[in-house]
Amino acid sequence: MKILVSIKQVPDLESRFKLNEKGNWVVESDLAFRLNEYDEYAIEEAVRLKEKIGTDDVDITVLSIGPERVKEVIKKALAMGIDRGIYIKDNEAFSKDPFRIATIIHECVKDHGYDIIFTGMQSNDRSSCQVGVFLGELLGISTITTIIGFEYNNNVVTVKRELEGGKKMVLKCRLPLLLTCQLGLNTPRYPTLPNIMKAKKKEIKEYDVNDFDKITNNITITKLNYPEKKSKAEFLEGSVSDIAPKLVKIIKSKI
Amino acid sequence: MSVLLIGEYRENKFFESAYDLVGYAKKYNKTFEMFAVGNKGETPNIKEKLYLADSNKYNEYNPVVHKELITALVNKNNYNEIVFLHSSYGWDLAPRLAYDIGASLITGVIDIAGEEFIKPVMNGKLNAHIKPDKEKLVLTIQSGTFSYEPDRKETGEIVDYDLAVTKSPIEFISYEEAATLGVDLSKADIIVSVGRGIGKKENIKNAEELAKYLKGELGASRPIVDAGWLDYSRQVGLTGQTVSPKLYIACGISGSIQHLAGMKKSNYIIAINTDKDAPIAEIADILVVADANEVIKELTKLINQ
Amino acid sequence: MDFELTEDHKMLQGVVRDFAKNELSKYSKLNDQQHKIADEIIIRLKELGFFGVYLPEEYGGAGLDIMSYIIVIEELSKFCSATGVLISAHTSLCCDPIYQFGSEQQKSKYLSMLATGEKIGCILLTEPDAGSDVAAISTEYIVKDDYYLINGSKIFITNGGYKGIGILFATKDKALRHKGLSAFIVDLNSDSVEIIKNEDKMGIRGTFTTAFAINNLKVPKENLLGKEGDGFKIAMATLNGGRIGIAAQALGIAEGAFDKAKEYAKIRKQFGKSLSEFQAIQFKFADMATKIETAKLITYKAGWLKDNGKTNAMESAMCKLYASNTAMFVTNEALQIHGGYGYICDYEIERMFRDAKITEIYEGTSEIQKIVISNMLFKG
Repeated sequence: MKILVSIKQVPDLESRFKLNEKGNWVVESDLAFRLNEYDEYAIEEAVRLKEKIGTDDVDITVLSIGPERVKEVIKKALAMGIDRGIYIKDNEAFSKDPFRIATIIHECVKDHGYDIIFTGMQSNDRSSCQVGVFLGELLGISTITTIIGFEYNNNVVTVKRELEGGKKMVLKCRLPLLLTCQLGLNTPRYPTLPNIMKAKKKEIKEYDVNDFDKITNNITITKLNYPEKKSKAEFLEGSVSDIAPKLVKIIKSKI
Repeated sequence: MSVLLIGEYRENKFFESAYDLVGYAKKYNKTFEMFAVGNKGETPNIKEKLYLADSNKYNEYNPVVHKELITALVNKNNYNEIVFLHSSYGWDLAPRLAYDIGASLITGVIDIAGEEFIKPVMNGKLNAHIKPDKEKLVLTIQSGTFSYEPDRKETGEIVDYDLAVTKSPIEFISYEEAATLGVDLSKADIIVSVGRGIGKKENIKNAEELAKYLKGELGASRPIVDAGWLDYSRQVGLTGQTVSPKLYIACGISGSIQHLAGMKKSNYIIAINTDKDAPIAEIADILVVADANEVIKELTKLINQ
Repeated sequence: MDFELTEDHKMLQGVVRDFAKNELSKYSKLNDQQHKIADEIIIRLKELGFFGVYLPEEYGGAGLDIMSYIIVIEELSKFCSATGVLISAHTSLCCDPIYQFGSEQQKSKYLSMLATGEKIGCILLTEPDAGSDVAAISTEYIVKDDYYLINGSKIFITNGGYKGIGILFATKDKALRHKGLSAFIVDLNSDSVEIIKNEDKMGIRGTFTTAFAINNLKVPKENLLGKEGDGFKIAMATLNGGRIGIAAQALGIAEGAFDKAKEYAKIRKQFGKSLSEFQAIQFKFADMATKIETAKLITYKAGWLKDNGKTNAMESAMCKLYASNTAMFVTNEALQIHGGYGYICDYEIERMFRDAKITEIYEGTSEIQKIVISNMLFKG
């Protein structure tokens, strides 16, 4: 069985963001980056599947697009138990829309014949929820989004898809298929230090994005801005011992 | 040219949040028609035309089937703008439709500025202005952003919509209800809710104590529940419970869009957070800029006296 | 010249940081209060392979480099420096001498127990009358037919309370000073090794600091490390290697305190302004940040030299001296910024302040580091 996990490196959202010269993206040089949280669930689920059905029968590839720094998340995925990596170098990845990113991945992997593709249901930075579904459509395989439960049995996958209000939908589908993973699907492992070492010996195939980038954008971010502070809140500041009595008064007036 | 709004049904009832779609169309003076897979007994209160595919025939949500239904309708009537809610239904279906009809797709829209659509990025720290480059456009709008109070007596033309569809390889098995273990937060008058800013599991008991003294319930944001620190039945937000208490005290909750959607109808909101710029400041009445754990302890002490 | 960590190092840093922030941080106060590192944490450290960072894979280690080791100690120490020194003392002071001076048989027997954390390691060097002056050791060994018989006492043994594996230093004849010293690999889980007490101390309270009485301990001949009389050489080389670990620990303490103070200065208001808006406070941050950056550069350089097969004795002493001084300076300033809140135990800064001091004392005091540095400067 061949599995693909498609992942993204995103800025740490606790960062303070400054805008670039054009004003259409953030300055990346002083940001810390990390693995997109949703993709971490995707990696973990793929590795668990491999552990379940036997390590010799399953081969997992992780793929990511971006500047050199994204190799860091590819390596993390390898250290978590993925077998091999594909790195598509693209310093301008931030300016490409989700459909274009999906076509790049598609061009790269369309002949690889993956049985299952796992990816995050969205990215922490753009929260578009698009790349996974577009990739499934491009490949012409079934796609189920927002999964929080996964079971594999004899070429058939049973998943729980999360709906609003905590309700879930149980669905069944034959391979091949693409799944987008929601928070809570599993508890991703920390890579162990010996596995971090082993990951260094795993193969990462490198490509240039121009080999796969065949289209232009469908949508363009023209600018970013800081949301207007619509803050209606009255600020209460000072030492806790000063604040608390005031707060008690307010609470008592409201109940 | 009308825009096409994609309504949603849940358990054979029109999904109330889907009125946001009407709110969106009205806000920007767009004439619209609506499509939904649902049932005739429970139609939305709109005077505009509703294309209704019978849910008895098309069964539970299936992306392949619903996509075919909508694509055929879009092609027939040649809509240039199709609008979904940014919901588990909308974000699942919108990219499939956009792919089929070659449209631009913008998800999570909160506003329009001229030709451009605005959506939050970086967890709401920034807004992106996005220009669609294709003639056709598919959108998902952030729930809770465009509100609309329907006139419950209003009715409009309903067009039965029927189409032969392919059999989907995705098979619906069942629904699984949310595991509510008896905590009905929607009935609580006072909710003390905890979020990531609380730091560690042990600190929850202080918030719980405060809730007890106030005769209220303990709530939580999603990360707390995902971490297993509290039961799912305590979760407030889009994927948890929607609440509207008299008093909501948000402790260490920065206020993701999903959380805000679940509690913004609270009568009075006190947020306790170290970050003045936290999105929860947008809807809170009072933002206490301090460490939530310290404030909780002090409050509990005073109220107990 | 390249001042960037490699992607491998950055990835490792992210992993250890996440673990320390999400898991270890919950135990740092508890470890301090209970005078031991929680069992749950020890289990996790074993699972994640933290007991054998740079030991070869063939002995069950992770096979990473010294730079990785620095990163691990630094990140752990940001949240719990007791855990940082648990790993540092185990690795630098016990595993390292076996790795450097041990026979193949000794390595395969003992490193494999140590690298997995099955046994926790320590060094038994200090005695009541032999601290910085190692040659004054009076614990004695007598050569018997097929074993050595050892008698004496040892104090201040970091990690001693686990009764795992120790590198014990003893003399054949105290009058021989340096020349009489030999080093032995000993299993401390023996009736002949008695824990007198685990010390109650100012900081790093989560780690054991143990006093031992050694009564007629029989050590098999094959457990002699190196040759008879190699003890002093082994001790010096070991302490030299250990300095990087303590520098990394001190660096982590300083960074942890800095982060806490920065967070606090943004929230805390006095006279209607955040503390961070007062120049008197801003200047403290400028000083702290500059020292931390300097300490980091020199510690990383000492690691880089070692990884590139270059000698780093001078830089090891320098980074230990400078980073421990920085830890004291930064925790002091960070506590001052917290004002009265810094002094009470609800805020973690007082623990960091207490933890910092030991870094100027153990594994060679600051004064000893200066002797080491100046000796190299003038005696070449």
